Parts: sequence; structure tokens; C-alpha cells
Amino acid sequence: MALIRGRERKGAGQIFTASMADIVFLLLVFFILTYKVEVDRTKMDLPETWMRIKVPEKAAVISIAPPDDLTAPLTVRVSTGEEMSMAVSRLATESVEEVVTFASTEVARDPNKEFIIKADEQVPYAHVDAVLDALKQSKVKFIYLLSEQKTVKD
Amino acid sequence: MRIKKKEVQSEIFTGSMADISFLLIIYFMITSAFSADRGLDFALPEDTDTPEIKQEDSIDVHVSRGGAIEIDGTGAPLEGLLPYILDKLKQNPEKPVILRTDPDATYGDMIRVFDTLRTAHNEWTDADGQPLHMDVHGKPLTEIQTISIPTQREIESLWSMLGIQ
Repeated sequence: MALIRGRERKGAGQIFTASMADIVFLLLVFFILTYKVEVDRTKMDLPETWMRIKVPEKAAVISIAPPDDLTAPLTVRVSTGEEMSMAVSRLATESVEEVVTFASTEVARDPNKEFIIKADEQVPYAHVDAVLDALKQSKVKFIYLLSEQKTVKD
Repeated sequence: MRIKKKEVQSEIFTGSMADISFLLIIYFMITSAFSADRGLDFALPEDTDTPEIKQEDSIDVHVSRGGAIEIDGTGAPLEGLLPYILDKLKQNPEKPVILRTDPDATYGDMIRVFDTLRTAHNEWTDADGQPLHMDVHGKPLTEIQTISIPTQREIESLWSMLGIQ
């Protein structure tokens, strides 16, 4: 340590910030590359499966969420899945015709349009069956059932 | 006397760059979501090539309320599903599996059985993807060729066609 006439030289304390810009840009690049807008943000407990296949990014989404209280009807939402089309319509659960109309419009636009069914595992199968039936009536060819990864539990 | 020209050093002001970068980072961190993007797929049959399937030519798997399953009308545990199907497919590898679900069962119950059917490929092949089982004709048996999930309306129309109430 350098001493001047017996007194300690006082250096101004500082934090080295030169690499901060590099780190910030690295993070920025990471987030830009991995950026993906979630089409349907409905929170639900998806069923768990061993087999999982990546779903197409621009597939239309039909979500079936359970009601907050048992007396309320289920909530069915549809989204085209196209970029920048964040509008999610909420449908009355019983009106399968609305799902048919939505799916038919999408299939007319693109005959190979994929559809994702995002349903809570506690939803009665009758509702999923009604949506599946609507998609079959609309001549949909590819359907994906969204799930979480099943893991071995202790 | 020569006047010395004062040189002005040109530079780009980068003081605010860090602020802008941080602002963008915060935006991307908040709006990006690591959402579920995987699941089970199945292709619906085309109108033209849908073969007519007789009940005795298929393997009927019924998911009851509560998640219990019946295979060809007999109650069985989920673990017994693939071995039963394997035995049947060894005789006829083109036999389709029909998955019917009680409307009062949950979606999770149906998915659990469908997932088990889809894992047949992993169960019937070794780590290198080589088949572990052969059918009666000596051909490798690695997967269930057709899994059909008829809707309630289709089942009812089939029942009424057959005259079953």
C-alpha cells in the first residue's frame, strides 16, 4: 500500500460498470429472441401427460376454463392464434354453434389450420366432447390437446 | 501569428443507452411468458378415407365416471391396457382402438388413458427404437396404428343406425 508521509492515500470507492452495458445487451438479445406473446392467458390446471409434442405457433386456441364458483357456467374462449390478434372472444358454454362458426371461418381461410384445445383437467368431458364435435363439423384436420409434462412423483 | 484551430472531437452520446436498454429489458421481461406449448396431437380422419369399423373389429376402451376403464366391456386397471391391446394387435395389427369417454368423467381422466395409448411406441420399442414385439405375420409391432375418439353425437348416431337405444 502506498503511503504518503505516513498517511493512507484515499481512493474514491467505485463500482466497475463498464461491463454493465454488455450484460444488459446480452439480456436484451435473449428476451427479444425468446419473446412470444401468449395467445391465451387463461389460468388453469392442464392435465399431465408423458407424451408431449410441440404445438404449432399460429394455431387457433380454444380454452375451456372451469368456473370460479360451482354455480357459474364454464368459460369458453377462442382466439385465432395469429400474431397481433390478441382479441379473445368469450363464448357462452352451451352454444357450440359459435365454436362451429369460429372454426369454419378459420378453416375456410386456411384448410390446414391447426386448433389447440386448452382445457382444465377438472372440466367435465361433455364440454370437451361438444367442442371436439364442433371442430369435426367444421372439417378441422389437426387438433392438439395442451398438457403439462408428467413427472415421476415420490 | 498562426492561429491554432481548435479541434472539436465528434462523438455519439451514449449516456442514455443504458436507460433505454433497461427500459426494453423490463418490457420484454414483463410481456414474455413461458407458456405451455406442448401437448398431445391427433389428426381427424378425412371424409373420403374413413373406413367403416365394425365393433368386433376394434378394441373398445371406455372411460367411466371417476376414471375407471373398461376394455371391451370388462373392467381393467390402466396398467393392463397396453398388454391387452398388444395381444390383440399381434393377431391383427390394423385393429383400431376406439376411446369412448363418459360425459360425466373429467377431461383429465380421458387424457390419462389417451396418453397411455400414445406411450405404446415407447413401451414396445427398446432404447434404440428397435421393435420388441412381432405380429403373427412376423412384422414388427411398434405402435397403435389408429386411435379413434368418437364424439357423443357420433356414438349416438351409430347406435341409432344399429337400432340400439
